[in-house]
Amino acid sequence: MLHVKIIDVSKEKIDLVKAQKFIASSKCGASIYFVGTVRDQNDNKKVTGITYDSHDALVIKSFEEIHKEAEAKFKFNNIAVFIEHIKGYVALGDTSIIIAVACKHRNQAYDLSRFIIEEIKKRSPIWKKEHYENKDSEWLKGNPIKSS
Amino acid sequence: MKIKLELYGASRDFSNKDHLEFSLKEKSSINDLRNEILSFIDKNFKGNNNFKKLVESSKFCSEENNIVADSYKITKDQKIGIIPPIGGG
Repeated sequence: MLHVKIIDVSKEKIDLVKAQKFIASSKCGASIYFVGTVRDQNDNKKVTGITYDSHDALVIKSFEEIHKEAEAKFKFNNIAVFIEHIKGYVALGDTSIIIAVACKHRNQAYDLSRFIIEEIKKRSPIWKKEHYENKDSEWLKGNPIKSS
Repeated sequence: MKIKLELYGASRDFSNKDHLEFSLKEKSSINDLRNEILSFIDKNFKGNNNFKKLVESSKFCSEENNIVADSYKITKDQKIGIIPPIGGG
């Protein structure tokens, strides 16, 4: 079971309750919620917020491919995966991504959640523009996209 | 051929719009498009070295949402996305 979405923050909010409802299942004994938030410092600069940019179609495609590869790699039965990533401006402490997974056992849930976030970092075309206390802003350098 | 280059991430600094437009010869490749963008940077941003490095380190995405190689032949008018190095999550 899979849910993937880009949330445009100018139109709607990212919501952990939605993730909880989606992955809830009596077949699963372990749930992991990974919540990425905007932290206050990067490279010794005081961060006040981040603007996220996204190639929406490619991001959705990458999420679906990562899920498919995870199924093939781990071969866990009855898993639920919920992935939402925002686009637009996110203030300090606010949520940029939710990855919620439910599996039969805890070791499966930890493995699956970690695999998904690490692959998103390598493969999903999302960019960050940091905003600083002194009103400057800067696109982060990032790494070349890994294509599947 | 007319190419609408959709801008993402740091490449958005290349224009006030969300895209650039280029005219390419028939059967041009992604590498040819990359060279056109580099010429655009030379002409409009005095060869800004950071912008040129960004173009050189970027990948490109076809209208069918596939990351395409430098040798990929562009055979029709289409939208191409420039995909600078990524860093989301």
